[in-house]
Amino acid sequence: MAERLVLRDVIKRYGDKTAVDRISLDVHEGEIYGLLGANGAGKTTTMRMVLGLIYPDDGSITYGGHAYGGDVQRDVGYLPEERGLYPKVKVSEQIVYLAKLRGMNGAEADKSLRYWLNKFDADEYYDKRIEELSKGNQQKMGFIAAVVHRPNILILDEAFSGLDPVNVELLKLAVKELREEGASILFSTHRMEHVEELCRSITILDRSKTVLQGDIREIKQRFPREQILLKTLSPVSGLESLPGVTGVEGDPEGYTIRIADESAALPVLTEAMRQSEVRHFEVKEPTLNQIFIRSVGERHE
Amino acid sequence: MNRLGTVVGFTFKNKVRTKSFVITTLLLALLMTIGIHVPFLIQLFTGGNDEGGDRIGLAASGEYTEIAQQIESYASGLPDSDVTFVRLDGTGDAAALKRQADDQDLAGYLEFEAGGEAGAFPAARYVSENGSIPANVQAVLQPALESAKTTFIAQDALSEAQIAQLMTPARLQASSYNEQTGASSGTGGASGGEDKLNPMNFITVYVLMTLFFFSAMLTGNMIASEVTSEKSSRVMEILITSVSPLTQMFGKVIGVFLVGLLQIAVFGATIAINLMLPYNRNVLSGFDLDFSQLPVDVLIYGLIFYILGYFLYALLYAAVGSIVSRTEDLGQAVTPLTMLSLAAFYIGIFSLSNPNSLLMKIASFVPFTSPTTMIARIGLGEIHLWEIAVSVVLLGAAIFFFGWLSAKIYRTGVLMYGKRPSFKELRKAMKAYKI
Repeated sequence: MAERLVLRDVIKRYGDKTAVDRISLDVHEGEIYGLLGANGAGKTTTMRMVLGLIYPDDGSITYGGHAYGGDVQRDVGYLPEERGLYPKVKVSEQIVYLAKLRGMNGAEADKSLRYWLNKFDADEYYDKRIEELSKGNQQKMGFIAAVVHRPNILILDEAFSGLDPVNVELLKLAVKELREEGASILFSTHRMEHVEELCRSITILDRSKTVLQGDIREIKQRFPREQILLKTLSPVSGLESLPGVTGVEGDPEGYTIRIADESAALPVLTEAMRQSEVRHFEVKEPTLNQIFIRSVGERHE
Repeated sequence: MNRLGTVVGFTFKNKVRTKSFVITTLLLALLMTIGIHVPFLIQLFTGGNDEGGDRIGLAASGEYTEIAQQIESYASGLPDSDVTFVRLDGTGDAAALKRQADDQDLAGYLEFEAGGEAGAFPAARYVSENGSIPANVQAVLQPALESAKTTFIAQDALSEAQIAQLMTPARLQASSYNEQTGASSGTGGASGGEDKLNPMNFITVYVLMTLFFFSAMLTGNMIASEVTSEKSSRVMEILITSVSPLTQMFGKVIGVFLVGLLQIAVFGATIAINLMLPYNRNVLSGFDLDFSQLPVDVLIYGLIFYILGYFLYALLYAAVGSIVSRTEDLGQAVTPLTMLSLAAFYIGIFSLSNPNSLLMKIASFVPFTSPTTMIARIGLGEIHLWEIAVSVVLLGAAIFFFGWLSAKIYRTGVLMYGKRPSFKELRKAMKAYKI
């Protein structure tokens, strides 16, 4: 799969403050790429540079091998974090307008808008004004505005924040559909479970620097497995005194046992089997949440 | 270019359909209609009871008969007097005079009283229902009495011709040097001096200046608030990634310009239709205005300066709008621009009677004030063609410069949220964004 969006050693300074320090990343065709980081880590600045709103001080950004230009503009869709549409203009009019600005003709734009409205179960909003819609529905319209022109590069800044679970699922399906069609999606969020579900590769930014980058599965393997989930029929005691065990919480319905390293797992299982019947035993791989907190949080100490 | 059209169309359509625009336009058109009808309505109410004008009784007998004759002959000599006189009998008997006045449906009657000395001109008194003299009656009676008085005093000493001369006012005329020497060539743009005295010229200049001032300010504010509302609703972030800021800004400016033109066209049509109405045409001719005398050259130059000046102001308004994040802060931010357009307007208006002053000469080359002052100079003053050309070129250069600057400010401003940035912060941001 070809690399659609490539950032190489991109640097952006505001005065003496470096907002983005040497970021490199590749987004392939048909890939959702997670850009993670605490607030103020440089995500929005990176996205704005990709969008051509601001120019990098150093490094390069290429789109399918080309530099930024008018053609790229038409090929990019953007859902800003602070999303907004014209409050007093009808949904149909403004979305068709935005699609036309991205080079679609009126009839195509209208067809595409109706397709997406139908997909989101929102056909009746076609003639409504934005201010008449609920906040969640306004967000859906914002999402449609970002994808109505079928962009090859899609930039989603906190796409799912503030939505109810049903709508999150709808939007996830839409994002996956776009991925299947070959779009390259740069995706930022604070919700790690969404990243785990959608993204293959991630970059974690902290204070304008890249602290972690790569395939999610590889990253997870790099981090030690330090947690065991154990379910037994009757209570088990004395686990905390085993070597390598640093803590035990919970009851027979589900003990969470923290261990120093993976070699401590087997003694725990043996001990549990000796005392009771084991129904579930799992050496859990670290969640992205834990990885994120470890790589970003510890630096903040 | 295609996208520019899209922006223009969207701006125009949305602006025209807003309730505020529709209501303001209709309300102003209604006010104009009423305003144009005011003279007609006044005429309708005051002259309502008798078509042939006021009939006034003259209670004069004996030695005053001659004065009464003089008054009658003077009034009948007036071109369009609507006052006619009726002789009444029974001088001095107020009750009898009132009865006669009522019987003949008179507006009132004039009676004379002997002055202090014998042989002096008598004092006249107008007696009517409400005890006052209407303006149209006064306008006839006063000069008629003056005339009668002159004749009364001078009739023995002077000849008829001398008296007639005495009664015509002295004449005072104005003309320019060029007319005197007969050399009118070399003055381009405006035609000869006779036109300058034409009230139509004056009115055209006045209307063009006022129009420029109001449309620069109103449409300017419209543009600024459009930009600010796009910013505050955050739709700007999407827009700016779709279209270049320059296209966006020009699209907005042209779109709102068309809205302004539409409004002016509606007003123009309202005025034209109202003036065409037959009963209003009579009133208009009473003001001695002739639209065939409309100075076409002034109108054409006015249009050029109007459009150029509009763009200069509109671009700056767009830039100011882009700096502000909330509509509430907009009023304060556009104040300097409002001041500037006020200055242009007042320099022009106060110099209407003196269009060749040094101030006007300087102001007509300064891009921000030239749209008003140049029109005044073309319409009312003396000007060379090259001066107009230089002023247009300067204005065009200013549009390019401020258009470029505005685009930069716009590009930076739309990404800056929070409090209104100072010039220093703006410059820093421009540098940081590499714009």
